[in-house]
Amino acid sequence: MLVIRRRAGESVLIGDGVEVEVLEISGNQVKIGISAPRDILILRREVQLTAEQNELAAKSMPFSSLAGLLGKIKQSPQGSSSSGDKAK
Amino acid sequence: MVEIKTKYFGSVPLDSGVLVEFPAGLPAFEHERAFLAIEHPRTAPLVLLQSTTTPDLCFLALPIPEVDPDYQLLISAEDRAVLGLDQTVDPPANTDVAALALIAVRPDGRVSANLMSPVVVNRANSRAVQSVRWDGVYSHEHVLRLPPAPADTQEQPCS
Repeated sequence: MLVIRRRAGESVLIGDGVEVEVLEISGNQVKIGISAPRDILILRREVQLTAEQNELAAKSMPFSSLAGLLGKIKQSPQGSSSSGDKAK
Repeated sequence: MVEIKTKYFGSVPLDSGVLVEFPAGLPAFEHERAFLAIEHPRTAPLVLLQSTTTPDLCFLALPIPEVDPDYQLLISAEDRAVLGLDQTVDPPANTDVAALALIAVRPDGRVSANLMSPVVVNRANSRAVQSVRWDGVYSHEHVLRLPPAPADTQEQPCS
């Protein structure tokens, strides 16, 4: 990964026509401005991850698998086990 | 009575569930704006989010308290505006809001819940958004710890 140190107001150029400018730094947040051609898709990474998860979630699951999944969820004391997770 | 075609239950009357509007769709499904949220004793605690326009699209979801009782919602101002929630109320848990985690069955058979991007429904106006968190606190693939399927279940291998 290329690492570049920039101050507010400074920018970097990527390829032909993409400019990323650091607009403002406050606390642990950075506000960036991106200028790019219209055909370049810009997504927050978490939105891309969500899109991928949604594609997976929408994949066909036969009814028999749904019944099996339900059987497991009904048996599982989810609440107690996952709160233990968070304590780590 | 108007009926809709579903992925798992054939055609069902529209009043088998609650019609929920996603004004912005969901990531990767931006054009899917209306879902029937079906809660049925046969499938509890799962909530089925059946697209009203695409019969083959049905998300499975779990109420987030079933997955993590301590979960704290974090909703952006943009998403609050879509939901018609008060911009100043934080946390929004004091309003009539339901949070669901979409379930995915992974290629290796594990089942995960997306806690990073809960589907938040404002029951007062039946509007919903998939509210993508930006704080990195919760996983987009929180693996559910499920007991192994009973030996007598005839589960089809899902390959």
